[in-house]
Amino acid sequence: MIDLLHVELKRTWIQFIRYPAEVIAGLIITTSVFYGLFLSARYMAGPSFAFGDRLDAVVVGYVLWSLNLYIINDIAIGLQSEAQTGTLEQVFLSPWGSPRVFFARAVASLALRFTLISGIVLILMAISGSRLSFPPVLLLPFLTLVMAGYGFAFMMGACALVFKRVQQILGIFQFLLLFLLAAPFEQSTGVMQYLRFFLPMIPSTGLLRDLMARDLPLDWLTFGLALLNGLAYLGLGLLVFNWAEKMAKKRGSLGGY
Amino acid sequence: MQLANRPTAERPAAVTPDNIVLATQGLTKTYGRGKQRFEAVRQVSLTLHRGEVLAFLGPNGAGKTTTIKMIAGLVRPDRGQVTIAGEDPHRHARALRNIGAVLEGNRNLYWRLTPEENLEYFGVLRQVPRKVAHRRGLELLDRFELLDKRDTPVQKLSRGMQQKLAIAVALIHNPQLLLLDEPTLGLDVEAGETVKALVRQIAQEGRAILLTTHQLDVAEELSDRVAIIRRGQIIAEQSTESLLQEFSNSTYQIEIEGTLSPAQQHQVSQLGAIVDGSHITYADDHHQLYALLAALQPLPIVSVQRDRADLTQVFLKLVKDTQDADS
Repeated sequence: MIDLLHVELKRTWIQFIRYPAEVIAGLIITTSVFYGLFLSARYMAGPSFAFGDRLDAVVVGYVLWSLNLYIINDIAIGLQSEAQTGTLEQVFLSPWGSPRVFFARAVASLALRFTLISGIVLILMAISGSRLSFPPVLLLPFLTLVMAGYGFAFMMGACALVFKRVQQILGIFQFLLLFLLAAPFEQSTGVMQYLRFFLPMIPSTGLLRDLMARDLPLDWLTFGLALLNGLAYLGLGLLVFNWAEKMAKKRGSLGGY
Repeated sequence: MQLANRPTAERPAAVTPDNIVLATQGLTKTYGRGKQRFEAVRQVSLTLHRGEVLAFLGPNGAGKTTTIKMIAGLVRPDRGQVTIAGEDPHRHARALRNIGAVLEGNRNLYWRLTPEENLEYFGVLRQVPRKVAHRRGLELLDRFELLDKRDTPVQKLSRGMQQKLAIAVALIHNPQLLLLDEPTLGLDVEAGETVKALVRQIAQEGRAILLTTHQLDVAEELSDRVAIIRRGQIIAEQSTESLLQEFSNSTYQIEIEGTLSPAQQHQVSQLGAIVDGSHITYADDHHQLYALLAALQPLPIVSVQRDRADLTQVFLKLVKDTQDADS
């Protein structure tokens, strides 16, 4: 399994380094969109309005959204492009079994993306004047967030295997995801303060905002719930993906696009 | 109608149950529902032994690719079973360690990666330890004469080199069964010959090869056995040699130097042969052939050839006959 991770990292890195234009273009677009949003918000609020903590929370939300968007699209887009280039069936010929191969791929591409997103965070902080803190404990809720994110990635991958064309679903999902990640559910009251633990990624994003923007210590109980949330969505994603693989093999449409 | 140059030394290892690499039983696959329902493959049973090359032939849409994909575990059969070296790839993913495949219409390789990187990557993907995969990759590159291209991205290689590399990648984990779907399609003559030579070598190593191709001369040259599929059903399966024998007639063409004397002409005609200058056609009982040859003495004999069917004729006849029978 370590070897598999190693070669997946190598493959991801080589493909990035030989053709970096598309990834760099993606980074520039992500940063510019945020800058556009930031300028509009400042224009609406007037020059004298201080964003303070809210600005920091928005930056965190936006960065998490762009990272999760990438994670969620990752498997589905990878499956589609490999079906088109004709390597997908070779991947499904692996004795590791496809969930393990795609999981290794997910970890590899996350490692690369994580490096790039760190760059975006620094640029966004410079543009917006936001001051975020990065305590090491941050990694814990980040991990639970990524787990739930990959749960969705496997579900989207399942859609790609069964329905083939998933651009529309991915497009609609972007906005649903923005709502889930940017809205501060952790400050909600009433039924929502309990219900939020069942929604995907919400407990993790709340914790991240607490740690990074509000300088609060990690609430271990909430973290436990976030971990359960992450595990549940990841498990669900893998189940759905397994089902989709069986379905595609039954229909004989595994390598089709 | 000359039989192509099939090397007889390349017979497979003795056929015993222990030697069975691939066995499929009653593979059946239906696609679609209602009015669009059609049976792509019906009751296909094949057996393939170590060192044996089976040419799996059939018209377009006959069910070849569906069968190959069912064998590789990529398409799930509705009924029937696949066993590769004793394991079912539909139940145990580890059975895939014994399958190498070059699938038609697919690139089978990462074009942005170099040959060396592709071999290492696919080796690990097939559960070979990374260092072993790397070492074996270099050996294969050397053997396939691609060592000088090891650092060139695959997309910059010629079609022939890409195909050789795809076969090398399919062998990186040392599988017992190699599935080759149209391995010489789109290759120029030289590259086609190289790929054919490689297929022979690979079979000699003791691997079983299932080969599909529309180039029947390639199938005739390489295969030990032939299975012909039409509308999802196997309509013929036997050794290439006996199939060709069966469809060959017993007419001999004899070429001599010089001309026969009138006495010799008479004797030859008595034996039932037809003389046309220095060319003699003899279509009767082959027991009389030696008497005929004796009658030609002392003229030098340039050649004696038996008319042989080639696989193209056999294939067309079989497919047409079943078509007529269907209608």
